[in-house]
Amino acid sequence: MHELSLAMEIGRLAEAKLGASVAQCVAVGVEVGRRSGVEPSALEFCLESVLSTPPWTGARPVLISADDDRFLLTWVEVEDDDSPPD
Amino acid sequence: MTVRRIELHERIMARNNELAAAVRARLATHGVTAINLMSSPGSGKTTLLERTLAELGEALDIAVVTGDCQTQNDADRLAAHTRRLVQAIVTGGICHLDALQVSDALDHLDLAQTRLLIIENVGNLICPSAWDLGEQTRVLLFSVTEGEDKPVKYPRMFESANWVVFTKTDLLPYVPFDTERAVQHCLRVNPAVRFLFVSAMTDGGLDEWFSFIRREVAPVAPV
Repeated sequence: MHELSLAMEIGRLAEAKLGASVAQCVAVGVEVGRRSGVEPSALEFCLESVLSTPPWTGARPVLISADDDRFLLTWVEVEDDDSPPD
Repeated sequence: MTVRRIELHERIMARNNELAAAVRARLATHGVTAINLMSSPGSGKTTLLERTLAELGEALDIAVVTGDCQTQNDADRLAAHTRRLVQAIVTGGICHLDALQVSDALDHLDLAQTRLLIIENVGNLICPSAWDLGEQTRVLLFSVTEGEDKPVKYPRMFESANWVVFTKTDLLPYVPFDTERAVQHCLRVNPAVRFLFVSAMTDGGLDEWFSFIRREVAPVAPV
Protein backbone atom coordinates (compact mmCIF):
# COMPACT_ATOMS: atom_id res chain seq x y z
CA MET A 1 0.00 0.00 0.00
CA HIS A 2 1.47 3.32 -1.11
CA GLU A 3 0.26 5.27 1.91
CA LEU A 4 1.64 2.71 4.34
CA SER A 5 5.17 3.16 3.04
CA LEU A 6 4.68 6.93 3.08
CA ALA A 7 3.44 6.74 6.68
CA MET A 8 6.50 4.70 7.62
CA GLU A 9 8.71 7.30 5.93
CA ILE A 10 6.98 10.06 7.91
CA GLY A 11 7.55 8.07 11.10
CA ARG A 12 11.25 7.61 10.28
CA LEU A 13 11.70 11.28 9.42
CA ALA A 14 9.89 12.55 12.53
CA GLU A 15 11.70 10.08 14.76
CA ALA A 16 15.04 11.31 13.43
CA LYS A 17 14.04 14.90 14.23
CA LEU A 18 12.67 14.13 17.69
CA GLY A 19 15.37 11.84 18.97
CA ALA A 20 14.73 10.87 22.59
CA SER A 21 11.59 13.06 22.66
CA VAL A 22 9.70 10.72 20.35
CA ALA A 23 7.85 9.12 23.29
CA GLN A 24 6.60 12.58 24.34
CA CYS A 25 5.25 13.42 20.89
CA VAL A 26 1.49 13.94 20.97
CA ALA A 27 0.76 15.08 17.40
CA VAL A 28 2.34 15.03 13.95
CA GLY A 29 1.25 17.59 11.34
CA VAL A 30 1.50 16.64 7.67
CA GLU A 31 0.60 18.85 4.70
CA VAL A 32 -0.91 16.86 1.84
CA GLY A 33 -1.43 18.65 -1.46
CA ARG A 34 -4.37 17.80 -3.68
CA ARG A 35 -1.93 16.95 -6.49
CA SER A 36 0.57 15.07 -4.31
CA GLY A 37 -0.70 11.63 -5.35
CA VAL A 38 -1.47 10.81 -1.74
CA GLU A 39 -4.90 9.73 -0.53
CA PRO A 40 -5.39 11.61 2.79
CA SER A 41 -7.81 9.20 4.45
CA ALA A 42 -5.60 6.19 3.65
CA LEU A 43 -2.53 8.07 4.88
CA GLU A 44 -4.27 9.03 8.12
CA PHE A 45 -5.30 5.41 8.71
CA CYS A 46 -1.72 4.23 8.14
CA LEU A 47 -0.20 7.02 10.23
CA GLU A 48 -2.40 6.11 13.18
CA SER A 49 -0.95 2.62 13.00
CA VAL A 50 2.67 3.78 12.67
CA LEU A 51 2.35 6.35 15.47
CA SER A 52 0.96 3.79 17.88
CA THR A 53 3.90 1.44 17.39
CA PRO A 54 6.99 1.84 19.65
CA PRO A 55 8.91 4.05 20.05
CA TRP A 56 5.77 6.08 19.31
CA THR A 57 3.17 6.24 22.06
CA GLY A 58 0.03 7.15 20.15
CA ALA A 59 0.75 10.57 18.68
CA ARG A 60 -2.23 11.96 16.75
CA PRO A 61 -1.82 12.47 13.00
CA VAL A 62 -3.08 15.86 11.80
CA LEU A 63 -3.47 16.13 8.03
CA ILE A 64 -3.52 19.64 6.59
CA SER A 65 -4.86 19.94 3.04
CA ALA A 66 -3.23 22.14 0.40
CA ASP A 67 -4.09 22.98 -3.22
CA ASP A 68 -0.70 22.18 -4.76
CA ASP A 69 1.49 19.06 -4.85
CA ARG A 70 3.23 19.58 -1.52
CA PHE A 71 3.81 16.67 0.82
CA LEU A 72 5.52 17.89 3.97
CA LEU A 73 6.17 16.89 7.53
CA THR A 74 5.15 20.31 8.80
CA TRP A 75 5.37 20.14 12.57
CA VAL A 76 5.41 17.89 15.59
CA GLU A 77 3.98 18.63 19.02
CA VAL A 78 5.78 17.43 22.13
CA GLU A 79 4.46 17.36 25.66
CA ASP A 80 6.94 18.94 28.05
CA ASP A 81 7.06 18.03 31.73
CA ASP A 82 6.67 21.33 33.61
CA SER A 83 6.83 19.85 37.07
CA PRO A 84 9.66 21.29 39.16
CA PRO A 85 12.60 19.01 39.82
CA ASP A 86 12.56 17.22 43.17
CA MET B 1 2.42 19.59 31.19
CA THR B 2 2.61 21.98 28.23
CA VAL B 3 2.55 21.14 24.56
CA ARG B 4 5.32 22.64 22.46
CA ARG B 5 5.09 22.76 18.66
CA ILE B 6 8.28 22.23 16.68
CA GLU B 7 8.11 23.55 13.11
CA LEU B 8 9.84 21.27 10.61
CA HIS B 9 8.52 21.78 7.02
CA GLU B 10 10.53 18.80 5.77
CA ARG B 11 9.85 17.23 2.37
CA ILE B 12 8.77 13.68 3.11
CA MET B 13 10.41 12.28 0.00
CA ALA B 14 13.70 14.06 0.77
CA ARG B 15 15.46 10.99 2.17
CA ASN B 16 14.56 8.86 -0.84
CA ASN B 17 15.57 11.65 -3.20
CA GLU B 18 18.97 11.98 -1.52
CA LEU B 19 19.51 8.24 -1.85
CA ALA B 20 18.41 8.37 -5.48
CA ALA B 21 20.93 11.13 -6.15
CA ALA B 22 23.61 8.93 -4.60
CA VAL B 23 22.55 5.98 -6.80
CA ARG B 24 22.66 8.26 -9.86
CA ALA B 25 26.14 9.47 -8.96
CA ARG B 26 27.37 5.94 -8.32
CA LEU B 27 26.06 4.74 -11.68
CA ALA B 28 27.58 7.75 -13.44
CA THR B 29 30.96 6.97 -11.92
CA HIS B 30 30.83 3.59 -13.65
CA GLY B 31 29.31 4.96 -16.89
CA VAL B 32 26.11 2.98 -16.33
CA THR B 33 22.76 4.20 -17.67
CA ALA B 34 19.64 3.18 -15.73
CA ILE B 35 16.12 2.71 -17.04
CA ASN B 36 13.15 2.49 -14.67
CA LEU B 37 10.64 0.18 -16.37
CA MET B 38 7.14 0.68 -15.02
CA SER B 39 3.61 -0.45 -15.86
CA SER B 40 0.45 -1.90 -14.41
CA PRO B 41 0.63 -5.61 -13.55
CA GLY B 42 0.52 -7.88 -16.59
CA SER B 43 1.52 -5.32 -19.21
CA GLY B 44 4.45 -7.38 -20.40
CA LYS B 45 7.51 -5.95 -18.65
CA THR B 46 9.12 -9.32 -18.03
CA THR B 47 8.36 -10.69 -21.50
CA LEU B 48 9.82 -7.60 -23.17
CA LEU B 49 12.87 -7.86 -20.92
CA GLU B 50 13.30 -11.53 -21.82
CA ARG B 51 13.45 -10.57 -25.49
CA THR B 52 15.77 -7.65 -24.74
CA LEU B 53 18.21 -9.75 -22.74
CA ALA B 54 18.25 -12.46 -25.38
CA GLU B 55 19.00 -9.90 -28.12
CA LEU B 56 21.21 -7.36 -26.36
CA GLY B 57 22.07 -8.61 -22.89
CA GLU B 58 25.63 -9.60 -23.68
CA ALA B 59 26.39 -6.98 -26.32
CA LEU B 60 25.32 -4.08 -24.11
CA ASP B 61 26.34 -5.55 -20.74
CA ILE B 62 22.81 -5.27 -19.36
CA ALA B 63 22.14 -5.94 -15.69
CA VAL B 64 18.63 -6.21 -14.30
CA VAL B 65 17.03 -5.50 -10.95
CA THR B 66 13.48 -6.80 -10.59
CA GLY B 67 10.94 -5.74 -8.01
CA ASP B 68 7.99 -7.87 -6.97
CA CYS B 69 5.63 -7.76 -4.02
CA GLN B 70 6.09 -11.49 -3.49
CA THR B 71 8.16 -14.22 -5.22
CA GLN B 72 11.21 -13.79 -7.39
CA ASN B 73 9.50 -15.40 -10.38
CA ASP B 74 10.37 -12.53 -12.73
CA ALA B 75 14.04 -12.67 -11.80
CA ASP B 76 14.07 -16.44 -12.35
CA ARG B 77 12.44 -16.05 -15.77
CA LEU B 78 14.96 -13.39 -16.81
CA ALA B 79 17.94 -15.33 -15.50
CA ALA B 80 17.15 -18.03 -18.04
CA HIS B 81 17.94 -15.56 -20.83
CA THR B 82 21.25 -14.20 -19.66
CA ARG B 83 24.47 -15.19 -17.97
CA ARG B 84 24.51 -11.76 -16.40
CA LEU B 85 23.29 -11.31 -12.84
CA VAL B 86 19.61 -10.61 -12.29
CA GLN B 87 19.07 -9.17 -8.85
CA ALA B 88 15.62 -9.71 -7.28
CA ILE B 89 14.04 -7.39 -4.75
CA VAL B 90 11.00 -8.82 -2.98
CA THR B 91 9.25 -5.87 -1.40
CA GLY B 92 7.13 -7.92 1.02
CA GLY B 93 3.86 -6.31 -0.01
CA ILE B 94 5.10 -2.78 -0.64
CA CYS B 95 3.82 -1.57 -4.00
CA HIS B 96 6.94 0.11 -5.44
CA LEU B 97 10.71 0.08 -5.31
CA ASP B 98 12.58 2.81 -3.47
CA ALA B 99 16.08 4.19 -3.84
CA LEU B 100 17.41 2.38 -0.77
CA GLN B 101 16.40 -0.98 -2.22
CA VAL B 102 18.09 -0.15 -5.53
CA SER B 103 21.19 1.10 -3.72
CA ASP B 104 21.37 -2.21 -1.81
CA ALA B 105 20.85 -4.16 -5.06
CA LEU B 106 23.78 -2.33 -6.68
CA ASP B 107 26.05 -3.85 -4.03
CA HIS B 108 25.39 -7.24 -5.64
CA LEU B 109 26.04 -6.14 -9.24
CA ASP B 110 29.39 -5.82 -10.97
CA LEU B 111 29.01 -2.23 -12.12
CA ALA B 112 32.42 -2.28 -13.77
CA GLN B 113 31.03 -4.91 -16.15
CA THR B 114 27.68 -3.17 -16.66
CA ARG B 115 26.71 -0.49 -19.19
CA LEU B 116 22.94 -0.55 -18.86
CA LEU B 117 20.87 -1.25 -15.76
CA ILE B 118 17.20 -1.97 -16.27
CA ILE B 119 15.08 -1.75 -13.13
CA GLU B 120 11.81 -3.63 -13.49
CA ASN B 121 9.58 -1.87 -11.00
CA VAL B 122 6.62 -3.40 -9.18
CA GLY B 123 3.54 -3.54 -11.40
CA ASN B 124 1.49 -0.56 -10.31
CA LEU B 125 0.29 2.63 -12.03
CA ILE B 126 0.23 4.83 -8.93
CA CYS B 127 3.05 4.56 -6.43
CA PRO B 128 6.24 4.04 -8.48
CA SER B 129 5.85 7.49 -10.04
CA ALA B 130 6.56 9.14 -6.68
CA TRP B 131 9.82 7.29 -6.00
CA ASP B 132 13.00 8.39 -7.75
CA LEU B 133 15.30 5.38 -8.07
CA GLY B 134 18.30 7.17 -9.55
CA GLU B 135 17.36 6.33 -13.13
CA GLN B 136 18.09 8.45 -16.21
CA THR B 137 15.00 7.38 -18.15
CA ARG B 138 11.52 6.29 -17.20
CA VAL B 139 9.81 3.90 -19.60
CA LEU B 140 6.14 3.15 -19.05
CA LEU B 141 4.57 0.13 -20.74
CA PHE B 142 0.95 0.55 -21.79
CA SER B 143 -0.72 -2.67 -22.91
CA VAL B 144 -3.43 -2.51 -25.57
CA THR B 145 -5.50 -4.75 -23.30
CA GLU B 146 -5.87 -1.80 -20.91
CA GLY B 147 -8.28 1.10 -21.36
CA GLU B 148 -7.23 4.04 -23.55
CA ASP B 149 -8.06 6.40 -20.70
CA LYS B 150 -5.36 5.09 -18.35
CA PRO B 151 -3.25 8.25 -18.85
CA VAL B 152 -6.01 10.50 -17.55
CA LYS B 153 -6.90 8.08 -14.77
CA TYR B 154 -3.29 7.81 -13.60
CA PRO B 155 -1.79 11.12 -14.73
CA ARG B 156 1.19 11.23 -12.39
CA MET B 157 2.59 8.02 -13.82
CA PHE B 158 2.22 9.24 -17.41
CA GLU B 159 3.50 12.72 -16.52
CA SER B 160 6.68 11.21 -15.13
CA ALA B 161 7.44 8.95 -18.11
CA ASN B 162 9.96 9.83 -20.80
CA TRP B 163 8.68 7.07 -23.09
CA VAL B 164 5.41 5.18 -23.37
CA VAL B 165 5.73 1.78 -25.00
CA PHE B 166 2.50 0.26 -26.25
CA THR B 167 2.75 -3.51 -25.76
CA LYS B 168 0.85 -6.56 -27.01
CA THR B 169 0.11 -4.76 -30.27
CA ASP B 170 -0.47 -8.14 -31.93
CA LEU B 171 -3.79 -8.16 -30.04
CA LEU B 172 -5.04 -4.94 -31.62
CA PRO B 173 -7.31 -6.74 -34.12
CA TYR B 174 -9.05 -8.50 -31.25
CA VAL B 175 -9.49 -5.79 -28.61
CA PRO B 176 -11.45 -2.53 -28.69
CA PHE B 177 -8.37 -0.34 -28.16
CA ASP B 178 -8.22 3.00 -29.98
CA THR B 179 -4.48 3.65 -30.28
CA GLU B 180 -4.87 7.21 -31.58
CA ARG B 181 -7.12 8.07 -28.64
CA ALA B 182 -4.65 6.52 -26.21
CA VAL B 183 -1.80 8.55 -27.71
CA GLN B 184 -3.86 11.73 -27.40
CA HIS B 185 -4.58 10.96 -23.74
CA CYS B 186 -0.86 10.48 -23.12
CA LEU B 187 0.01 13.77 -24.82
CA ARG B 188 -2.70 15.54 -22.86
CA VAL B 189 -0.95 14.77 -19.56
CA ASN B 190 2.61 14.81 -20.92
CA PRO B 191 3.17 16.69 -24.20
CA ALA B 192 6.87 15.75 -24.26
CA VAL B 193 6.42 11.98 -24.01
CA ARG B 194 7.63 9.79 -26.89
CA PHE B 195 6.16 6.51 -28.12
CA LEU B 196 7.10 3.02 -29.23
CA PHE B 197 4.79 0.19 -30.30
CA VAL B 198 5.85 -3.41 -29.75
CA SER B 199 4.72 -7.00 -29.69
CA ALA B 200 7.13 -9.27 -27.89
CA MET B 201 5.21 -12.26 -29.31
CA THR B 202 5.31 -11.42 -33.01
CA ASP B 203 8.45 -9.20 -32.99
CA GLY B 204 6.46 -6.19 -34.20
CA GLY B 205 8.32 -3.00 -33.33
CA LEU B 206 11.12 -4.81 -31.53
CA ASP B 207 13.78 -3.42 -33.91
CA GLU B 208 12.73 0.09 -32.87
CA TRP B 209 12.75 -0.94 -29.20
CA PHE B 210 16.22 -2.45 -29.53
CA SER B 211 17.43 0.73 -31.28
CA PHE B 212 16.06 2.76 -28.41
CA ILE B 213 17.89 0.56 -25.90
CA ARG B 214 21.16 0.90 -27.86
CA ARG B 215 20.78 4.69 -27.87
CA GLU B 216 20.27 4.70 -24.10
CA VAL B 217 23.62 3.06 -23.49
CA ALA B 218 26.43 5.52 -23.19
CA PRO B 219 29.24 4.89 -25.67
CA VAL B 220 32.27 3.19 -24.20
CA ALA B 221 34.92 5.78 -23.46
CA PRO B 222 38.04 5.33 -25.57
CA VAL B 223 40.91 3.76 -23.64
